[in-house]
Parts: sequence; structure tokens; C-alpha cells
Amino acid sequence: MAVSMMNFKFIHFLTVAALISSIMGCNEGDISSLSERSIIYCSEGSPETFNPQLSTSGTTSDASAKQLYNSLIVYKGNKNTLAPSLASSWHVTRDGKKITFYLRQDVNFHQTSYFTPTRKLNADDVLFSFNRILDKDHAFHQISGGQYSFFQSVKFSELVEKIEKINDFTIRFILKRNDSSFLANLATDYAVILSEEYGQQLTTQDKQHEIDILPIGTGPFKLQDYRVGSLIRFYRHDEYWQEKAKIEQLVYDISPNKSNRLTKLLAKECDVSSYPIAHTTIAERSDLTLESITSLNVGYFGFNTQKAPFDNKLVRQAISLAINKQALIDTIYQGQAARAKSILPETSWAYDSETPELGYDPVRAKSLLEVAGYAQGFTMDIWAMPVQRAYNPSAVTMAKLIQADLKKIGVKVKIITYEWSTFLRRLSMGEHQSFLLGWTADHPDPDNFFTPMLSCTSREKGSNRTFWCNKEYDELLKKALTTTNMSKRKGYYAQAMTIINEEMPLLAIAHSKRFQARGTDVKGDILENFGGISFYDVYKSNNVSNTNKVMAPNKKAKVID
Amino acid sequence: MLTFTLRRLALFLFTMMVLTLLSFSLSFLFPGDTVINHSGQINATATDLAKLNEAYQMDKNIFRQYSAYLQHIINGDFGQSMASQSPISNEIIELLPATIELSLVALLIAMLVGIPLGFIAAINHNKTSDNAILSFAMIGYSIPVFWLGLLAILLFSIGLGWLPSSGKISLLFEIEFVTGIQFIDILLSDSPYKWQAFNNASAHIILPACVIALAPATIFIRLSRAAMIEVLATSYIRAARAKGLNFRQIIFRHAIRNALIQIIRHVGLQFANLVTLAMVTEVIFSWPGIGRWLIESISQRDYTAIQSGLLALSCFIFIVHILTDFIYAALNPLARGNNHGS
Amino acid sequence: MAREKIYQEEVFPSPFMQLWGIFRKTPVAMVGFCCFIFLITLAIFAPIISPYSPVESNLEMILLPPAWHPDGNVSYLLGTDELGRDMLSRLMYGTSLTFGLSFIVVVFSLVIGVVIGSLSALTRGFKSSFLNHFLDVILSIPSLLLAIIIVAILGPGIGNTVWAIAIVFIPQFIHITRYAVKEEFRKDYVLASRLDGASNFRILYYSVFPNIVERLMSQATLAQSAAILDIATLGFLGLGAQIPLPEWGAILANGLEHFYIAPWTVYLPGLAILFAVVATNLVGEGIRHALKLRKES
Repeated sequence: MAVSMMNFKFIHFLTVAALISSIMGCNEGDISSLSERSIIYCSEGSPETFNPQLSTSGTTSDASAKQLYNSLIVYKGNKNTLAPSLASSWHVTRDGKKITFYLRQDVNFHQTSYFTPTRKLNADDVLFSFNRILDKDHAFHQISGGQYSFFQSVKFSELVEKIEKINDFTIRFILKRNDSSFLANLATDYAVILSEEYGQQLTTQDKQHEIDILPIGTGPFKLQDYRVGSLIRFYRHDEYWQEKAKIEQLVYDISPNKSNRLTKLLAKECDVSSYPIAHTTIAERSDLTLESITSLNVGYFGFNTQKAPFDNKLVRQAISLAINKQALIDTIYQGQAARAKSILPETSWAYDSETPELGYDPVRAKSLLEVAGYAQGFTMDIWAMPVQRAYNPSAVTMAKLIQADLKKIGVKVKIITYEWSTFLRRLSMGEHQSFLLGWTADHPDPDNFFTPMLSCTSREKGSNRTFWCNKEYDELLKKALTTTNMSKRKGYYAQAMTIINEEMPLLAIAHSKRFQARGTDVKGDILENFGGISFYDVYKSNNVSNTNKVMAPNKKAKVID
Repeated sequence: MLTFTLRRLALFLFTMMVLTLLSFSLSFLFPGDTVINHSGQINATATDLAKLNEAYQMDKNIFRQYSAYLQHIINGDFGQSMASQSPISNEIIELLPATIELSLVALLIAMLVGIPLGFIAAINHNKTSDNAILSFAMIGYSIPVFWLGLLAILLFSIGLGWLPSSGKISLLFEIEFVTGIQFIDILLSDSPYKWQAFNNASAHIILPACVIALAPATIFIRLSRAAMIEVLATSYIRAARAKGLNFRQIIFRHAIRNALIQIIRHVGLQFANLVTLAMVTEVIFSWPGIGRWLIESISQRDYTAIQSGLLALSCFIFIVHILTDFIYAALNPLARGNNHGS
Repeated sequence: MAREKIYQEEVFPSPFMQLWGIFRKTPVAMVGFCCFIFLITLAIFAPIISPYSPVESNLEMILLPPAWHPDGNVSYLLGTDELGRDMLSRLMYGTSLTFGLSFIVVVFSLVIGVVIGSLSALTRGFKSSFLNHFLDVILSIPSLLLAIIIVAILGPGIGNTVWAIAIVFIPQFIHITRYAVKEEFRKDYVLASRLDGASNFRILYYSVFPNIVERLMSQATLAQSAAILDIATLGFLGLGAQIPLPEWGAILANGLEHFYIAPWTVYLPGLAILFAVVATNLVGEGIRHALKLRKES
């Protein structure tokens, strides 16, 4: 003890010395060049896995999809057209059932301390990646639980008949039927390509479970270090098939606490921060910028249509009419969201500005209640989700506001909330009368709103917690999927929205934006159109020419060791 | 000294028994299945459960269960965290050193600031400087530590931009984990940015350490003031004064030494207090230590982690307690004859 | 003390009254004492005098700065929080929660601790030694840590926090009572009443307690300042008072999110805690100072 005390005294002396030197500003120099070549991103949570195939959580795909992997095709540009990525081109037969991809031949996988690739990407890797999802007997199917939520929700395995390897760089998907959202699904963050060679290596070493913990992909960054709840460190993938990323190191500083994230941003300890709070404070600072992107989501107030009195559509309409939506948006989202007319946001191509909206009319609401036989009003419960999400930053506060609105038409409200997982479990058992929740789309195809939220099939297994089922509505969705004619599809979806508006299984409230703040020295796009993020284009602007100079190979090699 | 050592050893063993007993009984007090609370294996299958029941001897009487639990602890098996499903012993080994480092630096700051101030106050007993120091001590003792931390961040990190507000080092530096004590690890590492990392780590520790140190420093002020006043009133000081030694000689040669011994006795107890403050401060400064981890575990109801984290933390506090007792005894032979533990 | 005066005798004030006499003459201590009384009054009458409800929101008055700020509004003297709740009312109600509860907790654990402590002071031998060591172990664990653990067992919430802190403080009172009682028992006056044939209980009640009550009070003020800080800290960490409750620590944690836009939501509850703890400590300091002076006189 005495010895270590001595040590500490010594260290303390150094600490004081360092304080003095750091206040004097002596230690700039090298550290600034190190920080110029790196980005620190304050993220909101720890990813569960590094394989985006397995999870639909935004935190997981933010930390893995665009950083570690590539998919066969991607969405590009403002119009969200499909563009080549690992597949340099593709071909769809006229009946839409055979889709052939021609792969790039110059794609390298990551080289890391745990894996050294001996070959470039080929059709085996694509086969491996998708068979893992489709084939229940695949050696890796059950690793990490065997739940491929996104692919299950779009019924991928029912759609794909088989996948054929034509030659080393050509692969063909054969579908059971034509599905216009198929390509869109392949362009999502979830449809990434893993390394088959790495899978084999893990099989021989009997360490299969590591495939999703120590990931190998083709993306612009490779994983260096991950400490749950603390940090993720990525290094640049120097043999990236496109021009390599401009920064050498990417660090995710995992800071779930929102005021901590803001403090770190203001104190310049992170360059970019996810989901910032106190927007006005950030906007006032000249060294910070606030940016936002309208993400494809909707926050809504849903009714359990199986339970009285909400099995009566007049009651659902009455309650919806009594809620002052604009006031909710102004208070809860503080103006950072667009009012939702129906479940589809304005940014979707299928959005129809003619969509009818119910509006705010407490007088009509009262008379509708009388017609429905509830002239005296009734008591109901609202289940408010306990967590903060972009589509609803504060559900409990929203419930309180709704409570005040409904009081005016004689309806008494009890607010109920549980811990998040309990909340979801009890919702799925249908214990609720009404609930506040939301939905974030995984890709721009409009079907991703209609089917999972309100279709009959997702009532049983999916996420339709209104338990509403309407044959006509489902028929429209099916028609929309089998056609490739965009304007026809748009028409079907408009009809579907009219049905929703009439039946009111839920009241769509707002489409919120996804926010992000960064220092003004950080350049390049980070936010992607569908809510994801990518650090591929990011760089720091202070000293671009200097950056190249310090990237001398020997020095860099040392850092990596 | 031998009886002293034996007494302390007995006390140590007794305490360990009480602490393990406490942590053992926590598994019964927490909601849920006892064996799952012991092991943290929430996803255990029926066969796993049978194995666990066997390992923790759950079918035997309570004493056998306790000894089985003790055996697990001695083998370094604290079970796994219910939240992250990774072994708790690993997490503790990673996090405890950070807390030790922070609290030791804070302790040093508290002593280096508090003791001299206390001495100055005692020497100027009942004068303005005495009252000023005492008022400062009163405020410092009363200020809630989390509020102080926030104010410090607001002023020094955001307002002035002098010192960083979170973590123990900028994440850009990669320091390999050896001892877990950041400064030692930096010195051992072969990173080309060693000295920058060192400076950076120093800048990171100053703010939280000072925030933690404030309250204990005020206690050291009171302790050292009281000790010094007592010493200055003793006959040997009067004798020294009568011999014609000047003020300087009296204070530095005689008074300080004797007063310091009195203070060392209290370091152990103060350390416990300081570690608690460190737990709260870790939350505010996002310091990756065991306190923050423990508080997070409580909000996530990760019972296995709470139970083992408590055990590790209180063992550590108690070991420091006993060590200061030894240092005190080594410096002050009078204390060795003391009959009771306190 | 209605005793008839038969003899012309000088009346000695009781030890407690002596103490009060000295205490009264220390201005700083009296200031602290007045603040303490003020806080107790506030804690009791908060529901009557507070201008608004502490939990009901008013969406027209969101994040209003305090009245002295140019944008402030006089009817919301200390401003409002993110739901338009009046900060002044919240802080007033918070007095009953943070300060009032800490007072009740300390009184409760004082009573329990004194009972157990005096009983145990009368035991000897192995039981006594065991208790001694046991107390040593418990007291070596910081009160906040112990409270956190008890909250972990009981689950978060203000009620559980109060129980946890009460349990945590009992050992200190046992310890100090035990020590003080043992010390007094060695004194001659106890021996004298023992020779008179007084029972242990009688000695405790009539002879020992009047002589140790100030020491207990001094310990109680220490405990209360710790209790205020513990309740507030647990509230701040989200383990104590839950969201809508206007507990000072919880108000502060709630304000964190708006720290940079509405700093008063963080400054004010912090100042309130500081004020309460300083007042309590001043009283305690006054008592200790008076004790010392009485000893010297």
C-alpha cells in the first residue's frame, strides 16, 4: 500500500503538472492531428449485435449497416432510386420472378486481428448471407437466436423460392410470385453481405457465435474494439472497393443519457451527436450545426378495436375528433414534426396530398358519442409508452394532454404505463383499451407502413396492436404489391388510407424528424434518407492538406498495432 | 504488533463473513428465483437450472447453500450480469480500478488541501482566517455533490472550455488494459501518443476528483484543526516553547507530526464516505467506474450485478479501512494496545 | 417540573436549559435555528401557502424564467418548468418531501436507535462484542451506499427511500447511545442512584438520558443533513421520488434536460438543498459549540 501511495503521490504531481501544461495549451500539436483524422460520434445506445440482419433496432443498424457492410444495391439521391453497390448491375425478367445480380469482382473483406481474407467477394458470400436467413437447416441459421425480424416481417422466406449461383460473380433469385417491394427490401440496411470464408473459419474453430460479435464485412470501416455501454471503435477499411473513407478512426461514444450527450457536444468531446436535445441552444452556438431529416415514421394513438367501447367505430371517430392534434404537436414535438394526415408521411412517394383528415371538432365528437349511446361519457385507459422515441418524445406527457382534451367531452382517462418490455408484452396480449405508440419504416416502400401496422396477418404475429382487421383493406394492399405500376399502386394506397380514415383504428398524430448536431468543422453527409447514418463521406475541414501528410504509412501502422 | 495483527485479521475475517452473508441473503431478498439471482443466468434452460441448483446446492440446508455460494465467490465466480450476460468478475476487474484511481486521487487532493487549511485555521484559532476557513468548510460540507458536479461542468467545461466533462480519457487514445489504473496503463503502453494521452487523462481526472474531494477536504479541515488545537495545548509544546524554540520549529518539528498521526486514523472512515461520493460523481462525469455501473444495474434490476458489485465495493472499502489502521498502528505504538476494533 | 419549593435554594437549570442559554447567545447558530424553524413551517404548511399545484401543468406558461428576468412574470416568482409548473410551488412542496421527510426519518431512527442502544449498553460479554463488531461493519459502509442497496431490494420510490434511510441511520444512533450510556454508567452519580436501589430502567430514564440528550441531538442534526443529501441524491439518481413528485433532487434531475435553456430549473432546487443542509448544520454546529462551552465552564 505504501508503495502504491508513493506512486500516487508521484502521479498526483504529474497531474498537477499536466493541468498547468494543458491550461497553457502546450499539448496541442499531435493530438490535434489525431483528432483531425478521427470522428467521435455520441450515440444513444449499445447495439445488440453487429449483424443488421438480426435486428430492426435503429441503434444496431446505425452501428453496423452502413459502416461495416454493403448490400447488393442501395438507394441513391433525392429521388431514392435504386443504384448499384456490390452488384454492379441487375436484371429482372418480365414476369418479375427471376432477378439476376452481377457482382463486382474487386471487393475486399476486412482484414482484422481475428480474420485475414484470402479471396475477394464472390457469389458464395451472397449465397451464404441469404441462405443463413432462408434456410432453417443452415449451419448459421440458429446462431444468435435465429430471429431475422425484418425478413420475417416482409415474409422473405415465403417469397423466395431459391437462390442460384450461376457462376462466381453471378447470382439469381427465383421468386414464387412477383413482388414489387423485393428490390426495395434488398436495398435496406438489413440485407447485408457477410463473408462465407469467415463463416468457414469460425466453423473449423468451433466459434460460430462470434460471427455477429466480431463482424467481417466489406464496408468502409472495420471493427477494432467494442465495449458494451462504453464505446465502439472502428478503423478505416483501407482496401475498400470504392475510394477509402476520409477519416481513419471512427469512435462511437455510447451515451444513453440525453443531457450527457448535449454536454459532451457543447464541451467539444464529441464531433457529432445523435438525437440532441435543447435545439435552440445548439442553434445559437456558432460552432455547432443542427440538422434534421424527415424520417419515415409516424406516432399514433391507437384503439383496441376488440374491446368495448372501441369496437364501435363511432366512438373511435368521436375520440379522434376530440383531440387537438396541433396542440399536441406544438407541445410535445416543439414544432419539430409535421402533422400526420394519415399513416403515410409526406416524404413517401405514395403520399397523396388529397388524403382526407378528420380534424378537430369537439362539438361533433360529443354528438357522435350521443349517437353511439355514450351521452354520459365513459372511463377509458390510455397506455403510454415509457421510452423516448423520435416519433413520440414524451408519450406520458402526450397522454396527459389527451386526458385534458377528452375531459371536455365527458370521457375520463386513466394513464397507464409499464416498464418497456412489460409494456410491449401486455400490449401484444391485448390488455389495453387505447395506446400511444409509433412506427418507423425500414425502407421507403409504402407497404412497410400499411402491412405491419394494420393488416390482418400482422394482427396475429406482427405489430398490429389495434387488432383491427378489414378484408377490403387487405385486398387493396395485396393488389398494390403485385403491380409495378407506380401510379396504380399510389391509387390503391390512397384508397387504403380512406378506409383507415373512415374506420379510425388509430389516429395518426405526427411524422417527426430525426435530428443530429455536429461541430461546424465536420463536413460531409451523415444522415441518410431512411433514418440511418453513414460516416463514409465525413471529414474534418480544418486542415485537409495536412491530413494527407500525417497519414504517412509507418506512423499509421503504429497506431493500428 | 502481533496481537494487533491477529485482532485485525479476526476483524477482517468476521467482516468478510458478514459481507458475504449479506450478499448471499440478497439473493433471497431480491424478487425472482434465488439460484437465478445467484448466477444471473436468466435464460437458463431446465437442464441448466438443474446444474445450477446442483452447483449452488440449493436442495441442501441453508448452511450448505452458503458454503457453496462462498466457494463460488472464492473461485472468482460472481455469476453473470443479467443485463449483459457477461461474467461479473470481468466487469468488476475492469471497472473497480477506475473507481480506485479516481477516489485515491480525490483522497490525495482532499488531504493536500484540507490538512494544511485545518492547520492554518488552528494556528490562527478564533481569528478571521479561522472563521473564513470554517465557513468554507461548512458550505463545502453542505453542498450536494451532484449539483456541484453540474456547476463545475458548466463553468470549467462549457463556459471556459478548460477541462473535459466526461470519461477518463479521450476515446481517441487506445490504451491497452493492464492494471486498469489508467495512468499506469498509459505509462506501460507503447502508443506513440503516450504523453498526449497522459496529459489528456490528467485533464480528465481533475474535475471529478476535485468535486469528490470537496466534502472530505472540509472534514479533513475540521479533523486537522481539532488535532492541531489539541496538540498545541499539550504540555510538550509548552515545554518546547519554554525552551525558546521559535514558532516555525514548534509547528514543523513537533506539532504537525503529532497532529498528522491523529488524522491518519480517520482516513479509512473518510475513504468510505469518499467512495460513495465518487459513485454519484461517476454518474455525472460518465466515469467508467463501478459506482456508475452499480447505479445502472439498480435501475435495470440486474440483481446479480447489484449483489456482487456491493460485495466488491464494500470489501475494497474495508480493506482500505484496515490498511489505514495498520499505518496508524505502525506510526503510533500507543494504538497497538487498543482493545477494541473501533 | 412542578416541584414545590420548600427550601430557599438556588435553582439549577437542567443541562438542556443551560445549553439553550449558551446556544441563544451564538448569533450564527440562531440564524441557522430560525431558518430551520422556517423550513419546518414551510414543510407543514406548503399545501396551504403555495400559489399553484406542484404537479398540474399549464401549457401556456412553459419554461418561464424567474420574475427578475426581463421575460419573467411576477405571478410566477421563480419561473416555471417544461410543463409550465410553478417552480416556487414545486420547491415549497419539495420542502415537505425532502426536508420534512428527512426530519421524520431522523426522529424515527433516533427513537429506535436509542431504545436498542440503551438495551445493548446493559449487555456484556460475547453478545456485546458481537454487536460491537457488527456495528463497526455496518458503520464502515457509507450511508448512501447502504441506502442505495436497500432501495435496490425494495425497488425505487419515495416510500422505500424513506424506509431505507431510516434503517441506515438506526445503527449510528445505537452506536452513540450505547457509547454514551456506557460512559455515563461508569460515573459516580449513577453509582449513587444504584446504591439507592434504582433499577436499570429508572437510572436510564431519570439520570442518564437528561445527560446525553444534547449529544443525541448533535448526532441527529448530523444525521439530518446527511438524510437531506441522501434523499435528494437518490431522487436525483432516479431511485427515490418518482417523476411527478416535486422532491428537490428529482426536480433537479428533471431540469437537467433543460439545463442549457432554463438553468433556473437546476440552480433553484440545488440552492434549496444547500440552504436546508446549511441551516441544519448551523444548528448542529451551534449545539456542539454550546456543549463545548458548557463543558469548559
